Amino acid sequence: MPGTAPLVEMKNIYKQFGGVHAVENVSIDLHPGEIVGVLGHNGAGKSCLMRILSGAMARTSGEIYVDGNKVDIATPIEARHLGIETIYQTLALADHLDAPANLFLGRELKTRYGTLDKKRMESEARKVLQRLNPNFRNITDSVRNMSGGQRQVIAIARAIYFNARILIMDEPVAALGPSETAMVADLMRHLRDEGIGIFLISHDMHDVFDLCDRVMVMKNGINVGMHPIDEVSRDDVLSLIILSKLPDDWQPRNQNGKAP
Amino acid sequence: MSDESRSAAEAERVELVRLTSDRRKDLVQKFSALASLIALIAAFGVTANAFFTVNNAMTVSLQTTSIAFLGIGVTVVIITGGIDLSVGAVLALAGTIAALLVKQGWPVPGAMVTGVLVGTLCGLLNGIVVTRLKLAPFIATLGMMLIARGTALQLTGAAPVSQLGAEFGVLGNGSLFRTLEMGANGLPRVVFPGIPYPVLLMVALAFVVAFVLGSLPIGRHIYAVGSNEEAARLSGIDVETTKMFAYGLSGTMAGITGIVLMSRLVTAQPNEGIMYELDAIAASVIGGASLMGGVGTISGTMIGAFVIGILRNGLNMNGVSSFIQQIIIGCVVIGTVYIDYLRNRR
Repeated sequence: MPGTAPLVEMKNIYKQFGGVHAVENVSIDLHPGEIVGVLGHNGAGKSCLMRILSGAMARTSGEIYVDGNKVDIATPIEARHLGIETIYQTLALADHLDAPANLFLGRELKTRYGTLDKKRMESEARKVLQRLNPNFRNITDSVRNMSGGQRQVIAIARAIYFNARILIMDEPVAALGPSETAMVADLMRHLRDEGIGIFLISHDMHDVFDLCDRVMVMKNGINVGMHPIDEVSRDDVLSLIILSKLPDDWQPRNQNGKAP
Repeated sequence: MSDESRSAAEAERVELVRLTSDRRKDLVQKFSALASLIALIAAFGVTANAFFTVNNAMTVSLQTTSIAFLGIGVTVVIITGGIDLSVGAVLALAGTIAALLVKQGWPVPGAMVTGVLVGTLCGLLNGIVVTRLKLAPFIATLGMMLIARGTALQLTGAAPVSQLGAEFGVLGNGSLFRTLEMGANGLPRVVFPGIPYPVLLMVALAFVVAFVLGSLPIGRHIYAVGSNEEAARLSGIDVETTKMFAYGLSGTMAGITGIVLMSRLVTAQPNEGIMYELDAIAASVIGGASLMGGVGTISGTMIGAFVIGILRNGLNMNGVSSFIQQIIIGCVVIGTVYIDYLRNRR
């Protein structure tokens, strides 16, 4: 969405592990109502970059701005206060707890006596989970007894329940079947239309071209290309992922009239 | 019945089975521990005449308090995925310090509270070593076990601290609702032996800790940390503080055990409580706690403590030597953990 102020700007981000550069001088921005795909091989640094934004990992150097204000984001809690919610690839669920407990993990609803408000957490969880998947009934089972799809739905529900403004989704449909994948895609479009900005990490070209407004490709910790989606074809993106450059004769696809 | 309604009914039934499977497993675990407890009581009731008396019930309860106090604290640590091997030594240190303070002329309540706080301090030190130095809980608490025991022996010169006065023995030997009746021969006769204070304390603390685990956010965080520490951290839970709370609580419970135990003997023994940590861990595991973390309840631990306590008491009454008792308790621990393994095998 050109014209609007960026929701997030990450500028010149570096992350070093000893001598290894996991992320090297990467800058990226995200506008309200926009889905930006972050692509690259495993180990290209895309998860690392997103973990820095979600407060799960400290950056070596670089600056982050949210709504134009410089922010620190040293912990996941700080990220949450800024409206940044993350769906981790590992889902980050406590297996022995049930769905409501996981949904409200770290920000439990309390009664006025300071005790856990289990009833309200269960009814709220039931509402949000059934909105995502109407067949989801056994929410008070421990999540280790649930299917991959159900677990994924809990992780997604946890991110959207708390009115995120910035959503980081790391392989959100990896464990899902076709109908659930379609449901998540619909949900993402819906959230985008509400003005939420989404970073999508995915290996699935189909999803990326279906959903994203822009794509950024990373290789070996470096940003090798950031393009509006209608400017590149799937082959262009694959070329960026594998060779870290566009084909030699590349021209923006939308200017010479070829559809991607 | 039409096909549609039949399949709907079928789906509902499948759903119901799935819904209850989890809770049923918990029940099976609780039930297996509780059933063995009842079986033990029945067996000893038949084999030992004096087993089924109010007096003996109170004696068993009193003897079980130490295991229960320690077990409650250790269970909380085990739920976080840790272990606390130091509680047996910490109870000795807490008890001897309280006794030495009384010898110095401190009032008994003040000395006892200080003793408990020494336990808390030892627990918090365990927590610091685990969270700041990032050592494995086994190593951290093994170190504390040696440090606390050594300190207790050094402070007392390895000699018991005795002649502490009657007031020091009230907590351990007093009881509520003790009723006496004057007999015809002019001597008092005990109508009801009363509920010993340690038993009341055990029940109260069990309820308090069960409430903390089940109904307060910190309790939920304790389960979450043990279940998936990384997920807990990413969810914004302060993992370090949660662990500090668990180890601090375990140390406090060890301190309370020390005070109660030394009060019962009206003597502080620096060698008291050796191997008690293993009884506490056994009680916790018999009650369904998993050493992998994330699982465990106070009610289960109480059952586990009573299984061990009643086993000891009943075997004593039947004249079984303490060596054989160890063998039997060892078998019980392995047996119950095997049941736990069967329960979780999927």
